Amino acid sequence: MLRLKKQLDNLSNAFNWLAAGAILIMMALTCADVVLRLFRHPIPGTYEIVGLMGTVGVSFALAYTTAKKGHIMVEFLTNMMPKKTQCIVAAASEFFSALLFGIIAWQSTLYALDLIHTSEVSLTVEIPVYPFVLSIAIGCFLTGLVLATDFYTSLKRIIT
Amino acid sequence: MSPTLTGLIGIAALFILIFLRIPVGFVMAGVGFLGFGYIVSFDASMNMIAKDLFSVFGSYSLTVIPLFVLMGQLAYHSGISKRLFNAAYKFIGHWPGGLAIATVGACAAFAAICGSTNATAATMGAATLPEMKRYNYKPELATGVVAAGGSLGILIPPSVIFIVYGILTEQSIGRLFMAGLLPGLILVLLFILAIVIWTRMRPELGPKGPKVPLREKLASLSGLIETLLLFVLIMGGLFWGFFTPTEAGAIGAFGTLLLGLAGRNLTMKGFIASLAETTRISCMILVIVAGATIFGHFLAVSRIPFDIARGVSEIQLPRYAVMLIIIMVYLIGGCIIDSLALIMLTIPIFYPVVLLLGYDPIWFGVIIVLVTQIGVITPPVGINVYVVSGVARDVPLDVIFKGVLPFLAALIAGTLLLIAFPQIPLLLPGLMG
Repeated sequence: MLRLKKQLDNLSNAFNWLAAGAILIMMALTCADVVLRLFRHPIPGTYEIVGLMGTVGVSFALAYTTAKKGHIMVEFLTNMMPKKTQCIVAAASEFFSALLFGIIAWQSTLYALDLIHTSEVSLTVEIPVYPFVLSIAIGCFLTGLVLATDFYTSLKRIIT
Repeated sequence: MSPTLTGLIGIAALFILIFLRIPVGFVMAGVGFLGFGYIVSFDASMNMIAKDLFSVFGSYSLTVIPLFVLMGQLAYHSGISKRLFNAAYKFIGHWPGGLAIATVGACAAFAAICGSTNATAATMGAATLPEMKRYNYKPELATGVVAAGGSLGILIPPSVIFIVYGILTEQSIGRLFMAGLLPGLILVLLFILAIVIWTRMRPELGPKGPKVPLREKLASLSGLIETLLLFVLIMGGLFWGFFTPTEAGAIGAFGTLLLGLAGRNLTMKGFIASLAETTRISCMILVIVAGATIFGHFLAVSRIPFDIARGVSEIQLPRYAVMLIIIMVYLIGGCIIDSLALIMLTIPIFYPVVLLLGYDPIWFGVIIVLVTQIGVITPPVGINVYVVSGVARDVPLDVIFKGVLPFLAALIAGTLLLIAFPQIPLLLPGLMG
């Protein structure tokens, strides 16, 4: 289990760098578009490419952010609880969160398959949309796994 | 069970679950998913959750968030904050409390390129606290001013809260940015006034620093000019409608990167750290936005926002009384819930009411940012206070909270001023094309 957790950490870290890469591309592309616009040669489809890159920039960072406990949480009530209760609450929260991300990953995959079927493309430059929906499915699946291992850790802490 | 009742149970469940330390975005998504499924159908709900996520993560207007976050992170890691403070304190360090005033000035300038309160407080704290300690400033003034000054990050544009508010309410982000500018400057003045009065009453809080020769003063200005240029470029571009907020963010991030590289202030390590922080912060914000979108769909089918808006119009309270109640909710909520999460949770409920009562949506945006700004420094959650206590490990929390009090008074005065004179925040947006 410990080895699996470590591999999962490495994987979410790697995906996080892909997300960072996507954000850098968004920045570079947008700047290039603004500058070229001055010379009346804007890059066609910048808005839609940047928007689609945004899905990668966020969903690939999801697992890493979750593993690093980087989400906004309200802690002041649970901090007053005894340690054991805190663990039980954490385990329940991780279990249901893992379930939620599992559902989202599954539904996003279905949605992507549907988009392949209808061969949906973006408006101007006609990029297929499904890979970006798939990136959300991948990001959410990974997040679900991270949460599941967190759940396992919390569970072990309750028992011991 | 009627949709309205389901909605009420949903809202109650939401608040209970949030206090169990479950990420706020997850709770909103989960409750929204279940509630929508219960009222409409679970097939529709499954469908909605995937589509909502894609529409939020892939929305062009939301890409403004990672780009402005990146800009702030790059500024932080290139040490711009230190140079800003350096310039400010060379000019006014020899006044009583001068270093504290310099801190407010530097915070305001840093807030002008950074959209987050905690980043502003953390970065300014690291740069200014050691200096104030060196000149024997009392810890309550030193830490209080950093915590309060950091809160300027969400009022002085670019501000993440304005971006999120603008997207949620379909208001122009550019106009919201412009609207935050004057109130931000007024607050800076009020903060300075608070320092002047406080150090008059207790001069030992902030002793005078050494006088600096004029040549050194002028030399320190270079640290100010780069920030000013960047700010003028971004705000000017937005003001004259030359670019979208996303483009402003991209240009700002790229400009900060170039400045950092040109001045050899940004190391490879700093660049990598900026990227890692950017993905984490952006992801954190967008997860909340996605959660709020899903929850918002549930609320819409429960018809609660409409019911509340109708109820408010039926009980015929004077409109300022309703506004007062709303502000109280933000004040109390802001003390225990993160400001961004609080706004996301409450806007779908309050916004229709505010519109119905005829308040200006841009003005309301400024007011709730101000009110949540009060929340960031109020116990027990007051996130900025914790950020500052993380930087100043030797200062106990209650000393920082004590140091924040005069600035809280200034914030409250500022809020009252803007309620009395709603034309102040609306002046600049009114001048836009």
